Amino acid sequence: MARRTRRRGDIGLSRRSRTVIALVGIGLATAACVPEGVTDRGRQVSELYTWFMVAAAGVFVLVVGLLSWSIVRYRGQPGRDVIVPNPSRGNIPLEVAWWAAPTALVIVLVVLTAGVLSQVDARAARPAVTVQVQGFQWGWRFAFPDAGVEVTGTPANPARIDLPVGESIAFEITSRDVVHSFWIPAFLIKRDAVPGHPNRFDVTIEETGTYSGQCAEFCGLLHSRQLFEITAVQPDQFQAWLDEQAATTGEAP
Amino acid sequence: MSAVDRPWVSTREPSGILAWLTTTDHKKVGVLYMTSAFVFFLVAGLFALIMRGELALPGLQLVDYNTYNELFTMHGTAMLFFFATPMVIGLANYLVPLQIGAPDVAFPRLNAFTFWLFLFAAIIVFGGFLVAAGAAAFGWYGYPPLSTKTYSPSLGADLWVIGLLLSGVASILGAVNIIATIFSLRAPGLTMLRMPLFTWNILVTSTLIMLAFPVLGAALAMLFIDRNLGGNLFTSTAQPLVYQHLFWFFGHPEVYIIALPFFGVVTEIIPVFSRKPLFGYRAFIFATILIGAYSFGVWAHHMFTTGAVATLYFAVTSFLIAIPTGVKFFGWIATMWRGNLWFATPMLYTMGMLGIFLIGGITGVFLASPAIDYAVHDTYYVVAHMHYVLFGTSVFAMFGGLFYWFPKFTGHLLDEGLGKIQFWLLFIGFNVTFFPQHQLGLDGMPRRIADYLPETGWTDLNLLSTAGSLLIAVAVLIFVWNFVTSLRLGPPAGDDPWGGHTLEWATSSPPPHHNFHRLPPIHSDRPVLDERLARQRRTDPAAADAAPAPSRDQLEGGRRG
Repeated sequence: MARRTRRRGDIGLSRRSRTVIALVGIGLATAACVPEGVTDRGRQVSELYTWFMVAAAGVFVLVVGLLSWSIVRYRGQPGRDVIVPNPSRGNIPLEVAWWAAPTALVIVLVVLTAGVLSQVDARAARPAVTVQVQGFQWGWRFAFPDAGVEVTGTPANPARIDLPVGESIAFEITSRDVVHSFWIPAFLIKRDAVPGHPNRFDVTIEETGTYSGQCAEFCGLLHSRQLFEITAVQPDQFQAWLDEQAATTGEAP
Repeated sequence: MSAVDRPWVSTREPSGILAWLTTTDHKKVGVLYMTSAFVFFLVAGLFALIMRGELALPGLQLVDYNTYNELFTMHGTAMLFFFATPMVIGLANYLVPLQIGAPDVAFPRLNAFTFWLFLFAAIIVFGGFLVAAGAAAFGWYGYPPLSTKTYSPSLGADLWVIGLLLSGVASILGAVNIIATIFSLRAPGLTMLRMPLFTWNILVTSTLIMLAFPVLGAALAMLFIDRNLGGNLFTSTAQPLVYQHLFWFFGHPEVYIIALPFFGVVTEIIPVFSRKPLFGYRAFIFATILIGAYSFGVWAHHMFTTGAVATLYFAVTSFLIAIPTGVKFFGWIATMWRGNLWFATPMLYTMGMLGIFLIGGITGVFLASPAIDYAVHDTYYVVAHMHYVLFGTSVFAMFGGLFYWFPKFTGHLLDEGLGKIQFWLLFIGFNVTFFPQHQLGLDGMPRRIADYLPETGWTDLNLLSTAGSLLIAVAVLIFVWNFVTSLRLGPPAGDDPWGGHTLEWATSSPPPHHNFHRLPPIHSDRPVLDERLARQRRTDPAAADAAPAPSRDQLEGGRRG
């Protein structure tokens, strides 16, 4: 009797659950669309994300598969007086296996993470360009101490700077007031601007282009307008931009 | 177990509204908690709808910047402190004494006091909307220096600090009460290793509350000193990061304070609707304790981008939590395996919770990797992740639990048909709202922004997300309608409509004032199932295997017919 009911249930639910699984699967696949990362470090983060995505897809397919199979195969009749005879309450080898499997996966993920993290956090001993970044309510001030150049943005007129491709750049990040976070989405990195706690990260930009940036840590009224823009250009163009800026900065009273 | 040896028993009961105002009955206090929590859920949900409306298109349409900032601050604050936490405490209040065969909680008057203190605290925090400069607008974790007087001068911010401090005290007192109840009032025969998993989860949760909320209290007290007494503890010249450490030392266990009880709820529902005992009872207890313990070692993964924490250490501890959580998934599936599954509403919501929490758990592993966190921290990716975790547990599992226990609370069933419609709307609506937010985060949309520029290309997914949020709103309204109409008119439930396993199903629905007229003998973690099996074996040895389903019409077709 139970088996007949089950077969009837099979059709209705398997189609429905198949649709759900398909939808979630498609959705999950689109979640893999992490930007490729236009810096040396960003590329590594992007690759790491892809490896995590592979592991995630495996786990997702396994768990949803087992779950769907149970839902379809063991669907029974409704009612409060049904009891499954002689159920299993435990299985030591199986339980050892499912403690061990996630543990093994975690070890792999830790190793992958440690490798990429040490490179992302690595700092050039002698960066070609040092940019001092200061966050404030609500804008960014960029200073190039070697060239004597300063660019300050406002919510209405965000700061725009040029940076060279192929050279190591160090961002030294501070804040004048509250906590901000200096973030260029295309670089796949951010670092908080914490008052009294200077931060730094280094990158080498690999592709020319214009990259928008934005404060990531909520910082008050106009948080959403604390924007900036970085244009990555060839080193000689960057030098020209720097000279031009130095001239205008010098002209200013 | 007689009423006479309980000094708090009054022979004369007040009635009507006075009964609710003066009650010390754990069931009524539980109902007060759950009802208020649900009202705050509706209010904070309305805030979310306004925010989704604002974000549907670039630019500002509905609210100004400050209002938007107040809305997301109060949405987070209310959902965590005035919805999820009190919903947990309400469920625990109602169910823990019933599940352990006790007549009430250990300290019934303290229990009533705790509820009123919580409500008072919530009113203080929401009072921020009534003061001239508006409610707190610095995010639910209130990082200084932004939350200091210089940058947030509004009195509403002080009300937020004071209200959260009081609600923390209420949570601590509630936890003391629950722990005392579990340790001292269990029925004879109900050893610790025969306790239902929901009660086990509540025990671990209460322990987390006892350890975590005092730290929040300390942080808030210092913030109050900074704001009003000229302290200089967290200002820019001092150590704003110390507050972040203190806050997340509370804040991460808080996530488990909300999640564990709802793991407990689904761990109750799955065996009953699989018609099998739980697979790996002790492994579940061990995993729960492990998750609780680990939750105190991972706080700094909220601070990877501060550049001031040992990133790899906290990455490892954060990854570790995935192991006991994964084990729970396998235990749930193994319980369903070779079962005889009944997809009534509680089970349906439980399946929804498993699917959604699975995705939230997986993205949690991504965020535990500092290199990935640097990219997606403080973006909509995190917003998506946390809603998959918190909405999956505290909303899907809550609805599962409410459909499961509503008959026990009221003696009536909720409408199954409406419940199923609500489930599909909620499930689809939730995924349409929050799944695209992963991509928005990867595309560079930060959290907590009131507007964005059209050239960012975020409009389509935001519009989709907003459309999904409307489905969620409709689903919740269907529940409200179902709840209100079923309260009196729902089909009579009987004492045990689902074939429950645990002691709350051994008493009438709703239970009498002191819960039990008689208790079944307790020889395992499922005394009610044991008794039913014994009864079946006595009356008809053959029927114990092939079981009829006499109450199917009553449950499935009662309202439709």
